[in-house]
Amino acid sequence: MRTTSSSPNIASESAVPGADPLWYKDAVIYELHARAFHDSNGDGIGDFPGLVQKLDYVQELGVTTIWLLPFYPSPLRDDGYDISDYTAINPAYGTLENFRELLEQAHRRNLRVITELVINHTSDQHPWFQEARSSRDNPRRDWYVWSDTDDRYRGVRIIFKDTELSNWAWDPISKAYYWHRFFSHQPDLNFDNPAVIDEIWKVMQFWADMGVDGFRVDAVPYLVEREGTSCENLPETHEVVKVLRRRLNEKYPMIFLLAEANQWPADVRHYFGDGDEFQMAFHFPLMPRMFMAVKLEDRKPIMDILQQTPDIPETCQWGIFLRNHDELTLEMVSDEERDYMYDMYAFDAGARLNLGIRRRLAPLMDGDRRRLELMNGMLMSLPGSPVLYYGDEIGMGDNIFLGDRNGVRTPMQWSGGWNAGFSAADPERLYLPLLSNPVYGYQTVNVEAQRRTDHSLLSWMRKLIQVRKSSRAFSRGGIEFLQPRNHRVFAYIRTLGTDRVLVVNNLSRSAQPVELDLRAFEGYIPVEMFGGNPFPRIGRLPYLLTLAPYGFYWFRMRRL
Amino acid sequence: MAEESFLSDEFVSQLTAVGEVDIVVGLPTFNNRDTVQRVVNAILVGLVKYYPRQRSVLINPDAGSKDGTTEAVQAASIPDFRAVLAASPLRTMHVVSARYSGVQGESEALRMVFAAADLLGAKACALISPDLESITPEWIDALVQPALKDGFDFVGPVYQRRRFDGLLVKNLLHPLIRAAYGYQIEEPVGREVALSGRLASYFLGDQSHREDFPGLGAFEWMTTAAMAGGYRVCQAFLGPRVTVSRRSALDLNTTITDVAGSLFRCLELHQSYWIARQKCEQVPTFGFQPVLDLDPVRIDRKRMFQMFSSGVDQLRAVLEQILSPGTLEAIIAVAKLEERQFRFPDDLWAKTVCEFAASYHHSVINRDHLLQALTPLYRGRVSSFILENGRAGSDDVERKLESLRQEYERLKPYLIENWNRNVR
Repeated sequence: MRTTSSSPNIASESAVPGADPLWYKDAVIYELHARAFHDSNGDGIGDFPGLVQKLDYVQELGVTTIWLLPFYPSPLRDDGYDISDYTAINPAYGTLENFRELLEQAHRRNLRVITELVINHTSDQHPWFQEARSSRDNPRRDWYVWSDTDDRYRGVRIIFKDTELSNWAWDPISKAYYWHRFFSHQPDLNFDNPAVIDEIWKVMQFWADMGVDGFRVDAVPYLVEREGTSCENLPETHEVVKVLRRRLNEKYPMIFLLAEANQWPADVRHYFGDGDEFQMAFHFPLMPRMFMAVKLEDRKPIMDILQQTPDIPETCQWGIFLRNHDELTLEMVSDEERDYMYDMYAFDAGARLNLGIRRRLAPLMDGDRRRLELMNGMLMSLPGSPVLYYGDEIGMGDNIFLGDRNGVRTPMQWSGGWNAGFSAADPERLYLPLLSNPVYGYQTVNVEAQRRTDHSLLSWMRKLIQVRKSSRAFSRGGIEFLQPRNHRVFAYIRTLGTDRVLVVNNLSRSAQPVELDLRAFEGYIPVEMFGGNPFPRIGRLPYLLTLAPYGFYWFRMRRL
Repeated sequence: MAEESFLSDEFVSQLTAVGEVDIVVGLPTFNNRDTVQRVVNAILVGLVKYYPRQRSVLINPDAGSKDGTTEAVQAASIPDFRAVLAASPLRTMHVVSARYSGVQGESEALRMVFAAADLLGAKACALISPDLESITPEWIDALVQPALKDGFDFVGPVYQRRRFDGLLVKNLLHPLIRAAYGYQIEEPVGREVALSGRLASYFLGDQSHREDFPGLGAFEWMTTAAMAGGYRVCQAFLGPRVTVSRRSALDLNTTITDVAGSLFRCLELHQSYWIARQKCEQVPTFGFQPVLDLDPVRIDRKRMFQMFSSGVDQLRAVLEQILSPGTLEAIIAVAKLEERQFRFPDDLWAKTVCEFAASYHHSVINRDHLLQALTPLYRGRVSSFILENGRAGSDDVERKLESLRQEYERLKPYLIENWNRNVR
């Protein structure tokens, strides 16, 4: 591990002594919303002091990084992604002092913290927009994208197609249209204006000086618009990113940028630049294909997308995930694939939203423990830094009847007691109702119950993360795909130097045999990583394995 | 599941890797390199277009091709399905080629396909010829859909034939099978068929008579066995059947020996069924019937008549052992007519065929000789048919053929009587 270079910023260095600027490559990220995690003051809303109280749990889980969903002041019409003040804390979640305490406590536990940088748009309640709309002559007028007609940027797709009819909204105050790629109450900032870039940099410095370890930049592809284009992934957008990254590098070399760019891998590749843009970007197209592969019982969807995925700079990393706070997006699949996913995973049309499925991992897997393990096993063994959504480690369910994406944002289920141990408030005061059905309700699925047994999903997930962290071949290694004749088996080798791990996944609901061509590893002894048992030495003949339904193996390849 | 030692280890290994499927497409080959890639591509596109979610495999039993046929089958691929279909396959496309030993006949190849369907639990099994020029991806849907989704066990083809093409089918096979088995199936020796998984398993288990059905006979056997076995039968429009066969056309003698012989053999196998069968049902027909203007087949009618006349004369002693005196006398009489006045009427022809069938059953003479004796008579029938229908429109021809079929049906009791008679 490399030692850190000197930096004038004490706060960011104190995170983890002797830290590696590429630490994010080894990260196991835990995504949560302070609002949903734990309520310390009994108002029914989770908060930062409550999160601090649960940091031991997060540490025990084995994750290394917490990704906090937006906690800024906001009218909360888009769950906090409509920000009205970038340098404050929503009072419902606490104070700046509470946040500093969180950072300190997290860092003490060797946990890093990354926050949201929602810069494509603000809330229409943000003082910047209030000023901009007040007059065409206002100094901040040009901080947003205005037009006298709604004819500009014709043909640009509408992202929230279930609720929006246009990317333009009429402002009755300034009698003009403003551009919004998301909800109409979220006007897009104008990144052609250098003042906007400078102001965003100030915001970044504010949080960086406080000690955050990274920023997840929301909705990156849409920063800049140009006539006659799709207004996505424009060269000018990349220039904006390069500017911010350059400034970040100069002053805060340990802080990393994570791009949310829901695009094809070839388009996302540009957001890494030559190592001078984002250090990490989510691999959106991989995610639905993991779900598809398990239903099809065929590795083809995963193989296809990974083989299409371009190489990225050595300092960069993919962020991979199964679920998150949004709908399971089906934007980056073909129509045929989308129809298949809807039919297989969202037959109830109520589960569909925009171009996606608003369900959690466990219900998507029909509560099947084996499939949950398989999916998480692939998440932890494929190239990239894995992101785990809060609650998925215990198999939390969802409630599609809560509207928008709220069904996957319900309170964390800590126990079978009062309000699932989430809050002391009256249940009616909770920010969202608890899940209470007999299958996924808090009485059945909760941390306390799962802590009591070694065989729970939670215990298994801890073990899984522990084993993953035992080899850097997972986090930093290359990947070589094996292509056994049995298409139901998805096998690959992760290699970093002399550290080699063979991963074999059975995507099928029935037991499967597979013969692997491991002649290149003749003489090696595969050691199964969860149990530590050696398997027969590899010879020249095809290596025969049998896998249980949805079973998988991780073998460390030992040469003795 | 039947255990079949005729499956090589390599074949079984490949099938194991494929695993359970919904659809098997069988493509037996022997030296078809020039045509097979196009056929494979049509099959793959058809599967992706119409059955993108189903698990499927193409099984290619090969009789030992020396021209790189199996390599061509394996290499056939669509580099970018989106250029063809605006869609990509969801699943891995499987193509399994395997050599089979034994005679270069259809039966062994079919057996491998049935074994694959049985082993892999296929719900539908289609059979396609490797020398088709006219195949389209729609053929896959037309054949597979009734078996896969509509509960049918046997799906026969309906081809759009050129004028005077398939006269052996139209004048002998179709009407006799219709009369005997009670199903109005257009192409009893259709080479593009589909089976349900359970029928494929049944055929796999009941291969005891396969040596009796060389060449096309295997398809006759399948068609009649499906009917006699009480399986649900239907047919599907496919369109014109145009092939590029590098084999020289079999001479008529061999064709009749194979086809008529297989038919009479089937009648023997299924006699308890067809003798008791009273009804004659239409068979559900699926698909879109294309109407294309096809060039007629050219036949030398005069030569046919000459061969008929001389054949009747030369084989009189043989025909006396096969036919009833009245039938033979009538044939001799028409053989003496001038060529332009010659007619081989429907009732005489149907009666002739019935008597041949019964005589075959009773082995009144060596069966091969018996079948060979049918050839000149068939030529006479063809000559007469062309003379009568040379200028007729297709609707008129169809009416006449329907009249012929009804004549066969009318003669069924006569057939049964002769079939059951004590042979002197």
